[in-house]
Amino acid sequence: MFGYILPEKPELKIKEYDLYRAYYCGVCKSIAKRYGQVPRLTLNYDSTFLAILLASVWEEKRDIRIERCIAHPVKKKIVVRNSEIIDYASDMNIILAYYKLEDDWRDERSLISGAASLFLRNTYKKIRKKYQEKCDIILRRLNELAALEKEKCNSMDRAAEPFAKLMEEIMLYRNDRMDEKHANILKWMGYNIGKWIYIIDAYNDLEDDIRNNSYNPFIYQYNYTEGAKGDVLSFKNKIRDRVEFNLVYALNQIAKSYELMETRCNRGILENIIYMGMLRKTEQILGIGSCKEVEKSV
Amino acid sequence: MRNPYEVLGIKEGASEEEIKKAYRELVKKYHPDQYHDNPLSELAEEKLREINEAYDYLMKNQSAGNRSGSWGQSYGGNGGYGTNEFYNQVRRHIQTGNISAAESMLNSTNDRSAQWYYLRGLIFLRKGWYDEAYNSIQMAVNMDPTNFEYRNALNNMSMRNATYRETAYGSGYNRNDDLCAICQFLWCADCCCECTGGDLIGCC
Repeated sequence: MFGYILPEKPELKIKEYDLYRAYYCGVCKSIAKRYGQVPRLTLNYDSTFLAILLASVWEEKRDIRIERCIAHPVKKKIVVRNSEIIDYASDMNIILAYYKLEDDWRDERSLISGAASLFLRNTYKKIRKKYQEKCDIILRRLNELAALEKEKCNSMDRAAEPFAKLMEEIMLYRNDRMDEKHANILKWMGYNIGKWIYIIDAYNDLEDDIRNNSYNPFIYQYNYTEGAKGDVLSFKNKIRDRVEFNLVYALNQIAKSYELMETRCNRGILENIIYMGMLRKTEQILGIGSCKEVEKSV
Repeated sequence: MRNPYEVLGIKEGASEEEIKKAYRELVKKYHPDQYHDNPLSELAEEKLREINEAYDYLMKNQSAGNRSGSWGQSYGGNGGYGTNEFYNQVRRHIQTGNISAAESMLNSTNDRSAQWYYLRGLIFLRKGWYDEAYNSIQMAVNMDPTNFEYRNALNNMSMRNATYRETAYGSGYNRNDDLCAICQFLWCADCCCECTGGDLIGCC
């Protein structure tokens, strides 16, 4: 995952902020406890969101502790511990990080990615054993994505489909214990989250992709032609409204699914993220609004 | 039946005013228009039915008066517009959520009329392909600019984005980041003070 899903910090209540941090630390510590220190580096905010969302659906009793950790040796932090949902979110995080590194290694021969994927290999194998079926589906989706990239797909919808479907799969946690109605809501939400991430990431990477000659759906959909240096920016300006339309449309669908979901806790944080944090990120990446750069971390 | 107060999200023993207010807000939130062309529309209707039931129950117990008619009931989809049986069948498939059947029917014909593009747009919407949907419906509108249904669908797509933003702004979201505005303000104030010989911020 990519770390685009963040809360809008100024609008969080302090207790919500503390709880958000506790989940974040929870994901990190869950990785450390089960797999050691190296995989901890894959930690990101998207998996925190996943943990908070799934926890709100499955309403666990929260086991909250106050502990120290390597990253914060002096001050003790609040942490959510012993949660199967947090374990699941961090497992999914590692799987995606591993596939991403492998992909970078294959495509760009990036040495850092190659080395990092080697370090993650054992952890990945352990997780794969646990979620054999899910991993197969995720891998299949990523292969579809790679095929679309190779054929230089010229539609953002078609290019986003495999990743959207991948997120759909990740949202389906314990779906054997869930009625069809709720599974459908989670699936639609996952689909739109995946779509949003894919499109926002494509727009964000547009300059780099043009420079490195990498695939980007917008290049082909809107016929970018190589030219003077300033062209990339004017190209980005030209397509901005259309990209914004697509991103906000997906956000609206996420919000609609959320309103139908029976959530039992964490509502404040979730509403903050869905209605404000993701909109803030959208506007920030698109370059709308007065602040170009908002806080990077929470 | 679930606890009607819980369904409406209000405290037990809430006043008639409070019940009505909560009811109005929920109906707005789950109104079919909001879920039109979205695979969850049935669930939204179910939710709305539950809300209606809860409201009816509470109002009956509040006073003897009965509410006539309810939201949602009047909503019956928009069938019957089609000029021929083929497109009516496609519309029925879309309405019942059988998207793959509708899609293969559309693909089987060589007709590329405004209606074809419009229906293709609806199918794209249900699949979550918003960009293609927009293009397709835009195409239908261009081909038949007088058609109210096509134009309406296009407007609805833009409107939906506006309702999402409204919720964000309603809960305190501000596009012009407050922190930036405050910094700018302080900086300006400092400049003004310095102009007149004083100083607001000592270090600059």
